[in-house]
Amino acid sequence: MKPTDNVEEAIKKDLNFAAGAELHDRMLDDVLNAQEKSKKAHSAVTRPNLIRRQIMKSPITKLAAVASVIVACVIGLSLWRGTQSGIALADVLAQIEKVESVRYQWSYKVAGGDPNTYKPYNETRVTWLTSQEYGSKSNWENVDPNGEWSQYVERYFLPQKKNWIFIYPTEKIYICQELEDAEVEEMQDNINVGNYLKDILQNKYESLGNSTMDGVEVAGFQITDPNWFYNLGKNQQVEHKIWVDVKTLLPVRYDILASAEVDKIVDRLTHHIVMHDFQWDVPVDAAEFEPPISDGYTVKVIKLPPGNEETAIQGLKLWVELLDKYPEKISDVDLRLVEKSGTPTALRFKEEIKGLTEGETIIKHADFVMPIRGLARFANVLQRDKKDPAYYGKTVTPKDADKVLMRWKLSDNEYRVIYGDLHAETVSPEKLAELEAALPK
Amino acid sequence: MIVEIEDEVLKWKFKCGSRDALRRIYEKYLNRLLTLAMALLNDAGAAEDVVHDVFMSFAESAGDFKLAGSLKSYLTTCVVNRARDRMRANRRGPARLDESEPIRSDLGGPDHAILCSEESQRLNHAIARLPAEQREVIILHLKGEMKFSQIAKLHGVSINTIQGRYRYGLSKLRSILNGEVEK
Repeated sequence: MKPTDNVEEAIKKDLNFAAGAELHDRMLDDVLNAQEKSKKAHSAVTRPNLIRRQIMKSPITKLAAVASVIVACVIGLSLWRGTQSGIALADVLAQIEKVESVRYQWSYKVAGGDPNTYKPYNETRVTWLTSQEYGSKSNWENVDPNGEWSQYVERYFLPQKKNWIFIYPTEKIYICQELEDAEVEEMQDNINVGNYLKDILQNKYESLGNSTMDGVEVAGFQITDPNWFYNLGKNQQVEHKIWVDVKTLLPVRYDILASAEVDKIVDRLTHHIVMHDFQWDVPVDAAEFEPPISDGYTVKVIKLPPGNEETAIQGLKLWVELLDKYPEKISDVDLRLVEKSGTPTALRFKEEIKGLTEGETIIKHADFVMPIRGLARFANVLQRDKKDPAYYGKTVTPKDADKVLMRWKLSDNEYRVIYGDLHAETVSPEKLAELEAALPK
Repeated sequence: MIVEIEDEVLKWKFKCGSRDALRRIYEKYLNRLLTLAMALLNDAGAAEDVVHDVFMSFAESAGDFKLAGSLKSYLTTCVVNRARDRMRANRRGPARLDESEPIRSDLGGPDHAILCSEESQRLNHAIARLPAEQREVIILHLKGEMKFSQIAKLHGVSINTIQGRYRYGLSKLRSILNGEVEK
């Protein structure tokens, strides 16, 4: 036996015990059974946890707003630092899960950046109502050039009917998108208010201590990791703050601010989101989730193509027609990309949508952009089903007949590959490794 | 405040009733807690009971579970407290190896209750010969990854006392282990 010179190291590294298979399984069975029994006992005295609150989780809506002291003063809040909260965000999440409905306000401002870049709206505000039973309803307003607020769309997510409905009252347009089961599930998850907290929990956050906000004692938390949001530009800065009522353990306010340098001599592009005026467990009337449709409305029902290889190739082909290259990332139709393109297809596209409202644009090009939406759907399916997908549109061009543009796993021994020239074949993992090693860095 | 992100999410999911979260917590901490219990009690049966009880209580607590602090520290403290209760109940220190249930080395096969290497067995044998107070400090600091200040709080004594116990314990342990070599 060797002498032990460094006892501390020896204990740290070498002193280890492990459960044998029988003990491991036996104890695990006991523990899981105990949890089940506890849940049954507990459910008799607590409300079932069925619902998910719903908000937008798209990159745009996730983008963030400031709040800080200056904004707080402007909007008349009294806010100051206090002691450490002692509240666990995990408890706040658990509390949110118990809520059956919530109504709240959401505001979004964009400032600075390249004035020539496509920006649908500079300032938007949304009233959300979500219900575990009925789905979500949101009323979107934006600021017109005169600074007046006007409604431009009502959205309904109806999980029971598997519909996502957009109503444009001014243009009298009614659009119904049919959803698949997996998409319903994904949307329910994406619009969950608690997702904002999950995002915080999955990152390094710090406590801001206790404060008072409109007479309510709140505990604050903050993320400042610049990589938390998608990349806006250089020298990105992010502040995501949340304040939680220390008594109810429910959020009172979210403030998210993200800014970055985007181009040359322009102001920093700034996105600012505030979620506020939360009313938890408000009474909900089923009639509120019946989208109104009046005479004279143009109705468009959109059924996306199936997410498969054929659709994906059609989508990639259309991107090349629009951009003369592949997009760096697979996404739904992103007008910001098309805006900068001078291909004949892009120019025709831009000409055709010139002067159209959002609703009119959707109606006019619903069929045209369908392959791109099918590609995005296919990418989602691969991601969801953990098919080990990868996409190399950033470096692979339409002329690269021997380079992997996109791949996904078929089985342990096979991968499917779409090459730069859009032909596809099945390859072994070894062959795929060779192909990927040859990709441009 | 930097937190262990995975544990925060697990805590939340567990509180929401997730079976997978509990399973993940179990998988993540089972061997760590068994090691702690073995090092404190040096008795395979007692260590198994302690860890079993800790996980059972934890599983049953989901509905009322509130934990602002670290999950790792929480489970560690639960094991320490139960191990101390057990030692007090027995009115004796850790069992000597010749009194306790045999610990099997992993050469014995995967189905044995608690597995360990010969080196672990040798170290544990030596640690078992330390006074309980010194043994606890060493194990909590080196295997429980607790700071001296946390251990001091747990024991209700000053940090200097804890650091003294740690130094004396290590010195004695070094002598025991090197003495074995000389035998």
